[in-house]
Parts: sequence; C-alpha cells; structure tokens
Amino acid sequence: MKAHNLKRIICILIALFICITMVAGCGTGTKESKPETSEATGGAADEKDGGTLTIALSATPKNLDPVDYTGVYEGNVIINVCDTLVKYDKSLQNIIPAIATEWSVSDDMKTYTFKLRDDVYFQKGKYQDGRKMTAEDVKYSLERSAKESAMNRLSMLDHVDVVSDTEIKAVLKAPNAAFLTALTDAGNTIVPKEEVEGWGDQFGLHLVGTGPFKLVDFIKDDSVVLERNEKYWGQKPHLDGVVFKFISDINMMANALRTGEIDVATDLVGESINVIKQSDDLVLEEVPGLVVSYVYMNMMQGPTADRKVREAIISAVDIDEMVKGIYTWGEAQRGYLPLPPGSWGYDPSLESLIPAYNPEKAKQLLTEAGYPNGFETEIHVGNKPARMKMSTIMQNYLKQNLNIDMKIQVSEWGTFSDIASKGKAPLYGMSWTWYPDPYFFLNQMFHSSQIGSLGNGQGFNNPEVDKLLDDAVTTTVDINERAALYKKALKLIVEELPQIDYAHEKVIYGLNKNVQGFVVSPDNQINLVTSEINVWKQK
Amino acid sequence: MLKYILKRLVEILPTLFVVALITFFVTRIIPGDPASVMLGPQASVEAVEKMRVKLGLNESIPKQFLIYMNDILHGNFGTSFYYNEPVTLLILERFPNTVILAAASMILALLVGIPIGVISATKQYSIFDYVTMVLALIGVSMPIFWLGLMMVLTFSVNLGWLPSTGMGSMSKGIMDVIKHLILPSVCLATIPAAMFARITRSSMLDIIRQDYIKTARAKGLRESVVIWKHAFKNALPPIITVVGIELASLLSGAILTETIFSWPGMGKMVVDAIEKRDYGLVQGSVLFIALIYVITNLIVDILYAVVNPRIRYTKTSERGGGA
Repeated sequence: MKAHNLKRIICILIALFICITMVAGCGTGTKESKPETSEATGGAADEKDGGTLTIALSATPKNLDPVDYTGVYEGNVIINVCDTLVKYDKSLQNIIPAIATEWSVSDDMKTYTFKLRDDVYFQKGKYQDGRKMTAEDVKYSLERSAKESAMNRLSMLDHVDVVSDTEIKAVLKAPNAAFLTALTDAGNTIVPKEEVEGWGDQFGLHLVGTGPFKLVDFIKDDSVVLERNEKYWGQKPHLDGVVFKFISDINMMANALRTGEIDVATDLVGESINVIKQSDDLVLEEVPGLVVSYVYMNMMQGPTADRKVREAIISAVDIDEMVKGIYTWGEAQRGYLPLPPGSWGYDPSLESLIPAYNPEKAKQLLTEAGYPNGFETEIHVGNKPARMKMSTIMQNYLKQNLNIDMKIQVSEWGTFSDIASKGKAPLYGMSWTWYPDPYFFLNQMFHSSQIGSLGNGQGFNNPEVDKLLDDAVTTTVDINERAALYKKALKLIVEELPQIDYAHEKVIYGLNKNVQGFVVSPDNQINLVTSEINVWKQK
Repeated sequence: MLKYILKRLVEILPTLFVVALITFFVTRIIPGDPASVMLGPQASVEAVEKMRVKLGLNESIPKQFLIYMNDILHGNFGTSFYYNEPVTLLILERFPNTVILAAASMILALLVGIPIGVISATKQYSIFDYVTMVLALIGVSMPIFWLGLMMVLTFSVNLGWLPSTGMGSMSKGIMDVIKHLILPSVCLATIPAAMFARITRSSMLDIIRQDYIKTARAKGLRESVVIWKHAFKNALPPIITVVGIELASLLSGAILTETIFSWPGMGKMVVDAIEKRDYGLVQGSVLFIALIYVITNLIVDILYAVVNPRIRYTKTSERGGGA
C-alpha cells in the first residue's frame, strides 16, 4: 500500500505543477514605465483621411431616439449622428454656434431668436432623400422634445415660431437662463419629421440627423456602426467611419485595447490604468471630470439631522487620506464643494468653510450634540469598488474617533436608488455629473422641490436657497450675475454642512497611439468632429 | 410512450402559470422603481412620475397581472420597458447566440469529459486516474471569471492568436465567428467537462463491478466492446441526468462568460433586465427559461427510455429512471 500512496502523492503533485505553470505562463511581462504624455495632436498638414475608429463603451445604448435616451452612452452616439443648435466649446466654458449661427434674447428673457445655417442637409434615410434642413425641422424637433422627452430635457420651452427658412423664435413658458445649455443636450438634436413618423417606435434604431456621421448599423448589445456623412456642413470628417463597441467588463476593455481590437477605451479605473501606462503602443489621457463624489447625510431624521452631528462626522474623517486610499491610481482629486472646479459657479473661497480633520473637536461636537458614546447608523452605497472602499475607510474613522458604528449596506443600483431617494438612508454615497452650469447640479441636489428624488434624497430644505436658485435662472441670463447668485446660494448650502464632497473623479481614457486629435472631455462626451476637433488615425 | 409525452406536454401549462405568477409578484416586491432606474439619477420627480404613468405602473397590481395574463394568452411574452420592444423579439435576437455558445461548450465538454471519465474508471488508481480527477476537481471549483481573464491574457493579449471580445460577424465569414467562439466556449466548457468526467467515472465504476460485466469478459468479448457497448451504455442514466441539467443551464445563458467576453446572449440580457427592473423583459425571459428547463427534462426522460429499454412509462408505473 505504501507504493500506492506514494503514487497518489506524486500524481497530485504533478497535477498541481501543471496548474501552477499554466498560471505562471499567463503573467504579463513588465515594461519600463513610460513618461507622461501630453494630448496627442497632429499639425493640419499631417492630418490624414481614412480609417475607422473603434471606441469601446462600457454599457450598451438602448434607444437612440433623442426624446427617449437616458444615458451618456446613447448621448455619445447621438451627438455624432445629429446636431444641436448650439454646443459647448472644447473648454466647456462658452456656448458656440452649431446649426444656429447667432442668437439674441428678448428683454423679458422669454424669447430667444436664432438665425440658422443655410447649408445643412439631413443624411439620406428611408423616408426622405437627404433633403435640406429648414426652420420647420427645428420647430418640429424642439417642440417634440419639450412635449415628449422622457427626461424633460426642454420642459421650459412653450413653443417655437418660424420666422423664415433660416430664422426661428423660441418662446419659453417663463424666463429660464439654463435654456441655452439645455439646447446643447443630445436630446435636443434636430431630426426629420418623416423619419420619426415613418419609423415610429423604431426610430431609435434608425436615427437620422445632420451630423458628421450617419448611422449604418445598430447591432443590439454588440456595436453601433457609423460612416462619414459626405454632405456634412462642417469640416469634412477625416475618419471613414466609427464603431462604438460595447464591452461591459473594464478589464476586458483594457485587454481589447492592448490587442488592438479597439482604439479607444473609455471610463478606465483601477489596475487597468497602470497596465495601459506601461504599454508602449498606448496612451493614457486624463482630465478632471465635471463630477462630484459625495456622502449625503440625512437631514430629515436621525442623529444626522442635527448640524452639530454632521460637523462632527466631517471633522472625524481625514478626507485627504481617504481620497488617497480610495484612488490608488490617482483617478481623482480631493473635493470640497458640491460643484466641480470646472463649473463657472465654483467659488474656491468657500473651501475654507469645510471643517478640517480634527478628531478632538469632532468628539467634543458629538458630545455637545448629545451622543458622547457615539451611535449606530448605516451608509448605503452602490456596488462599485470605489464606493465600497470609501465606506470602509469612513467606517474606520468614525469608529475610531467618534465610536460611531456605521454599517455598510451595498446594493445594486435599483435597490440603492429606491432607498436613497425615499429618504430612508441615514447616509448614502454616490456621484453627480452634468453640465458646467450650476443649475444642473445645485437645483436637483438642494432645491426643496426635488426632495423625493435621488438628487435630494437627504431632504435639504432651505427657503432662502430655493429663492436664490430660482432667481439664478429666472431673473437674468447674464452669466456673471447668475454666478454671483449661485455663489450666495452655495455659501448658504455649505454652511449647513449637508454632506461630504470628498472627490472629483477624473475622466480617464486609453488610446492607441495612432489616434490623433482626440479630445477627452470633462463631461465624458465624445465629439469626433466639431469646429475645433477632427479626429484622425495615423496608419 | 406517445401518450406519456403528450401528458408531459400538457403538464407544462400549470408549471408555466405558477412560474409567471411567482415572477410577476417577486419582481414587484423587490425594492426599486423601474421608472427611476430607467431614467437614471438625474431624473426629476416629475420625469419619473411621467414615466410611471407611461409604463402602466400606477395601475393596481391585480390589473397589471390581468393585462399580463391577457398578453400571454395571445402568445405575446410582453413588452420590455427598456427597449420598448416585444420580449419575444428580444429573446429571438439573443437566443440563437446563446445556443451557439451552449452547443459549442456542450460538445467540447462531452468530447473531453466522457472519455476521460471512462478511461479513469477502467484504469482506476493509475496515474492517469489521479491526475485527471484532481484536474476535474480543480475544474469544477474554478472561478469562471478568473479563468476567462487568464485565457484572454494568454491567447489574445500575449499571443495575439484569438480575439478577446464579441461574437464576430457572419458577414465576415464563418471563420470570424468560430475564432470568437473558441475562448468563451472553452472557458464555459470547463465546469461541465469536469462534472461529466467525475459522474462518468463514478457511474462506470459502479457498473464495472457488476456480475454481467464479468460474464461478458468471460465470454471472450473484446475489452473495448465490454467497456463501451455493455458497461458504458448501462452507466448512461445518471450521466444523462447531469448532461440534461447542464444543457438547460447553458441554454439559459452563461451570464459570467457572456459578460467577460461580451457575448450577446440571453444570460446577460436577463441579468441586465433584473438590474434595470425591466419587469416586462424579466417576466418574459424567466418564463422562456422555465420552458427550456421543462422541455429539456422531458427530453432527458425520453432518452432514458431509449437508452434502457427496461424503462417504460406506462399508466401503471411512476416515471422510471428517476430524474
């Protein structure tokens, strides 16, 4: 029997050896780390025509109909197939002409007059032959959005008057200074009536617009294929075509970039960043995002409804260290306010209002609030690694410094958003991203009318803030006046210490080094051809 | 036998009804509102309410159920909230992809697992036996996610032999699809192959010890005939059971594999639908999957009778073979 047992042991060892070599053989070779590269540019003389750019998105677009789309993924396809009246420039600070060449606002701020280009044509579709776009089409598209948009993307519009083939007047229900920004949204692109009515519910699968690329194929859950629009009114696109491919797993996306199956990988986080940095054929591009990551504290019930408790909690967490601990690959910068620094409403002077890390002061505040021995509470987060890391670090600080037992509840998005929006979460962590106009951050996060939605699930309610936020859109369209109002509102908001705005995550893309002229934008929009951009590929 | 088959087919109806009922109510009990999940975090309170009305979510639950039952009785699996398309269409778009992946994996698993199981049984306690059974144990315990990523790193990234994601396209020729199929099907076949090897071995060991096998050898029959024609054939029933369960499981969609390789199959669609609270799509897909399981079970039971003529399904006996 001894020989029998010996045989057994040998065989187990052989099997283990086979497995270990399989694993070892799969290791990636380490290369010397590359120096940081700047944005890839090519001089106009070098730019070449030709090639197809393959971009990976981490979720699949469902419906490309501008009135039905809900996410940034669909938005990215729509803005390359269709055009809006106006757009943000590369810096995201200024609104510049697109289909509209100039505009003016009436004194009562309710009527916007737009002059339109005369050389815009729709792409050829099943129900029209590539005809010219006119003011009637603009009226149709904008009114359709105002009435039917699932996300109310143009709810401030009352109706549009056609003055001539190249001039319209957009009349609002009430003054709303965010109207121009709303017009830059993919939901307010100009589409031909015949195609919408001809395709009906299926229009989302057969999108037709006036943009630099036309939709050729929409293979659900696989890819969207676009081809150059030869009759585009703007600069002729260098690229022959674009493919948006869907790869939901971030590691697989990085792998596909390394094998050359895709040219651009979007929304990179974690380890894959390092892998791409180390590759000679790939370029990593990162920009500060128009995003705030925060932890809301419930202001309607529980211990956190007391401002002193909130101040204690903020003082008990070393936020700088926490951010370093969560974003080990430098994917975010420390935050202070509920607006990204890239927004024109941001006020750096308010950063000093945020309490610094001070465990003794925190303990004192909590005792004054009536909780000398801490208390039990919960934080709700979605199941993203960064949020889970944040909760764990915060949990440690609160236990150590305040004896607060904070249980971590991780759930998938549907459950999380239900609990948080109904005000049932004592604390919850998420992030918010939208346009640089503060209206799109502060209104939904702090206006009392939005209590019950995820944006204001904490129950922030301050009538003074409500009035300032309302005034900032209804009483003026001047950006400086609006900025002043928002700064006042922001100060009142921050003084109440409603939340911990701990980070601004960066937008990080990986590109194949032969992709030129690609601009990574803080709002995560992929514009391939505009008046300032025209992406091309080196052979 | 025909009567038996017809009886089983009729029994499918109450099963599916119960599945539909349970799915309908469970989806509505779990927290999360389809409208706000669909519209995302930036949706205002007003936009969410508008969507709820559009999706019919403000109707009473019994009324929603009646509408749903009415749809099903008209052969309509319902409509997806998210895609705004009939569920039947969505399933038909993805199910063939799942079938391709499942078929490829099943064939690989059978070709690898069963011979290994048979040989291990006949050469019990040999080196081959030990090595393969340890590998099978590892195979069954292997986390698919890790295995998939390792395979991609090796064969796509480092060696560049095979593509890493997607299904490829028939328009580029069948070889394109086959190239895309290799990694996911090998990855997916690992666990079934290991299971088949183990169950085949254990079933064969039981049979080989039987007296009639000794008789067959004593009659002077060749060893290969003894093993395959006599032993293996009698070892089949438990193997068929396991193969049947695995097949149904593969046809329901291999969620992890489909996610890693971005294979556009049913598994990922169903998981996404649950996350998005797409009640229509979840209900329709679960019903479809239930149908797959029920039909696969029926085929397995029929196979028992084919393989082993002693098993009969008559009025006087309960179902033979035992699932």
